[in-house]
Amino acid sequence: MTGSPIDPQDPLADAFSRALRPVSPWADAWRRLRRNRMALAGLAVIGLYALFTLAAPLLPIHPYAEQVVAHENLPPSLRPAGELMLAARTAYLLRFRAAEGRLEFNAEERQELADMARAIRTDPVHRRHYWLGTDNLGRDMMSRLLFGGRISILIGLVGTVTSMFLGVLLGSIAGYAGGTLDNLIMRFVDILYGLPYMLLVIIMMALFGRNILNLFVAVALISWLTLCRVVRGQVISLKHAEFVEAARAMGASPARIIFRHLTPNTLGVIVVFSTLMVPQFIMTESFLSFLGLGVSAPLASWGSLVAEGAGVMSIYPWQLLGPAVAMTVFLFAMNFLGDGLRDALDPQSRRRG
Amino acid sequence: MDDQVILRVEDLRTHFDTDEGVVKAVDGVSFALRRGETLGVVGESGSGKSVTSLSLLKLIPSPPGRIVSGRALFHGQDLLTLPREALRAVRGDRIAMIFQDPMTSLNPFLRISTQMMEPLMLHQGLGRRAARARAVELLQMAGISAAGQRIDQYPHQFSGGMRQRVMIAMGLSCNPEILILDEPTSALDVTIQAQILDLVRELTRSMGTAVILITHSLGVVAGICDTLCVMYAGRIVERGPTGAVFAAPRHPYTQGLIQSVPRLDRQGPGRLASIRGQPPLVIDLPECCPFHPRCDQAMDVCRRCHPPATGLGGGREVRCWLYPEGAGHG
Repeated sequence: MTGSPIDPQDPLADAFSRALRPVSPWADAWRRLRRNRMALAGLAVIGLYALFTLAAPLLPIHPYAEQVVAHENLPPSLRPAGELMLAARTAYLLRFRAAEGRLEFNAEERQELADMARAIRTDPVHRRHYWLGTDNLGRDMMSRLLFGGRISILIGLVGTVTSMFLGVLLGSIAGYAGGTLDNLIMRFVDILYGLPYMLLVIIMMALFGRNILNLFVAVALISWLTLCRVVRGQVISLKHAEFVEAARAMGASPARIIFRHLTPNTLGVIVVFSTLMVPQFIMTESFLSFLGLGVSAPLASWGSLVAEGAGVMSIYPWQLLGPAVAMTVFLFAMNFLGDGLRDALDPQSRRRG
Repeated sequence: MDDQVILRVEDLRTHFDTDEGVVKAVDGVSFALRRGETLGVVGESGSGKSVTSLSLLKLIPSPPGRIVSGRALFHGQDLLTLPREALRAVRGDRIAMIFQDPMTSLNPFLRISTQMMEPLMLHQGLGRRAARARAVELLQMAGISAAGQRIDQYPHQFSGGMRQRVMIAMGLSCNPEILILDEPTSALDVTIQAQILDLVRELTRSMGTAVILITHSLGVVAGICDTLCVMYAGRIVERGPTGAVFAAPRHPYTQGLIQSVPRLDRQGPGRLASIRGQPPLVIDLPECCPFHPRCDQAMDVCRRCHPPATGLGGGREVRCWLYPEGAGHG
C-alpha cells in the first residue's frame, strides 16, 4: 500500500499490532471497578450473602420452621440453650421470690429447677446453640434469617429478571419503532404506572390467595416499567448513531439492529439500573410483608421477620435487630456496587459529579 | 455507452416536514452512473448531497422525511418502490455505503470481526469460518497489518484512519456494484485523507466498483472522480466530466467554488475569492433561481423562473439562465 502509515511489511508495526490484546469495553469497565474499593467490598458482601443463603439447606443449622417451645425468646448467646433457659427461669423465680419477701425457694420451685437441670443434662435438644437468639415460638433466628434471605433475594432477582426481559424487550422495540407502536407501548406503561400499586396487590392477594408465587407476580408486574422507559430513551438517543445507520445501510433487519447493535450498547445502563433496583424490590417485598400481604408463616422473609420483631422490640430487641441489620447491610452493599458499576461503565459521570 | 449505466436517478425529490414548513432537501435530482465510474457530488452543507444518497437506499428517517417523487433505476429496477425485504437484500450487498465519521460508525461493543462477518454471512451465505477468512483478507487489502490478530479487537483500539480503512473493507466485502461514500475523509487528518482516497481508488478500480463520492471538498473530487455533479439548494446545477468542469466551469456557483479554493500552482491576487452571502434556506423557496441573491450575473429572469437543465455537449449540463437552450453548443 503506497504511503500507508502502517506498512504490513514493517516488522515493527507488525509486532505492535500482534502485541495488542483485544480489550472489550466490559474488560475495561471491570478494570475500573476493581480500583473502586467500596464497590469491591459491596461485591464481596453480596457474594457472601449469596453463598450463605444458597447453602442454607446444607449448613449445620436448625430447621427454620422447627419450634422448641421451651426455647422461646432466648437472647443471642454463644452458650448452649439449656443454660440460658435455666438462667432465665432462675432469674424469673428470683424476682418472684423477692417480690414475695422470701429468702429461700420453696419446695415447688426447687423441684422445678432440679427437673429442668436434669432435663438439660439428658435431652440433647437443650445442648443447641442459638447465636442470634430465638423468636417467640422457639425458632432459631439465624436459620430464619438465612432462609428469609433466600426469599428476599429471590424476590429481588425475580424483579430484575422480569424487568430485564420485559423492560428491555418492550423498551427497545418502542424506542426503535417509534410512532404508533411506541405510543401504544408507552401508554400501556403509563396506565400500569398510574394504577395504585397497593390496591392492585391487595386485590390480587384477595383473588388468588396469599402465596409466594403471587408475591413474585406482584413484584414482577411493576418491576419492568421504569426500565422500559429508561431503555426506550437510550434506544432513541442511539438509533440515529452512525453505526446503526451503517448497519441499516448494510441491510440488517430491524430485529438484528435492535438486539445486536442497540441492546449491547444500552447494557451498561441496564446493569447499573438493575443493581440499584434490587434493593427497591426487596423493600417492596418487606413493605408488603410488613403489612401482612407478603410471605406467610412458617416461611420467612426479611420483611416478615422485621414485622414480627417490631412488635416486641422493647423486650426482645434481637428479634428486630438481626433481620434489620442483615437487610441494611445487603442493601448498602448493593447500592455501593451499583454506584461503582455506574462509575465503571460511564467514566464521564464521575468527572461530572 | 448507455448500456453501461447501472444506476439512473430521475427527478428525485425528498422533502422533510418540519414545523417551519416543507424543507425541499432534494428537489428534482437526475443523474446516471456507469459501471466502474467515479461520480463526485459537491456542494455546501445543506445542499442535499447526503439526502440524495440516503434516499437511494430509502434510509431517510421517516417521518419527517419522505420521498415525494422520482425513480432510482438500478439495473432497470426502481429502488424506491422495492419492497422492504428486497431492498434489504440490495443494501450492503450490491450497493454499500460508508459514512462520514469513522469514530462513530462502528459499534463500540462488538469486535471488528463480528461486525465484518455480519454482512458476509447475511448476504453471501458464508459460514463463520469462511466469513472470518474473507474478512481477514479484506482487512489486509485495506492495509491493516497483522489483520489476523487485529480483527479480534474492538473499535476503540483503532485510530480514525484505520477505522475508515475497516469501514471501506466492510463496504467492499460483498463486492458491491456501487459504493457510496458520504464525506469519507471530512473527519480525518489531512495526511490520512490522501491515503484513504488512494485506497478507495485502488480498491474500486481493481474490483470494478462504481463510486458515488459525496464531499464538500473540490480537491477530493479533482483527485479521483471521473464525473462531477455540483449541487445547490437541492438541485444539480452543473454536471460534466471532472476535467472539463474544472477547466471551464459554466455555472456562476461552480466558478465561485473553484475560485475560492487556494491553489499553489497559480499566483493570484492577494486575497482569495469567496462567494458572498449564505446558502438559502430550502423552506418554501419561491419560483426563482435559488442562487440569484448571491450571483454577480443575476438577471431579471433569474428572479422569476427556475432555470431548466441545458445540455452543453460533451456530457455537460448546466442549470443557469446564462446558457439558454442550445447556446452552449459549438
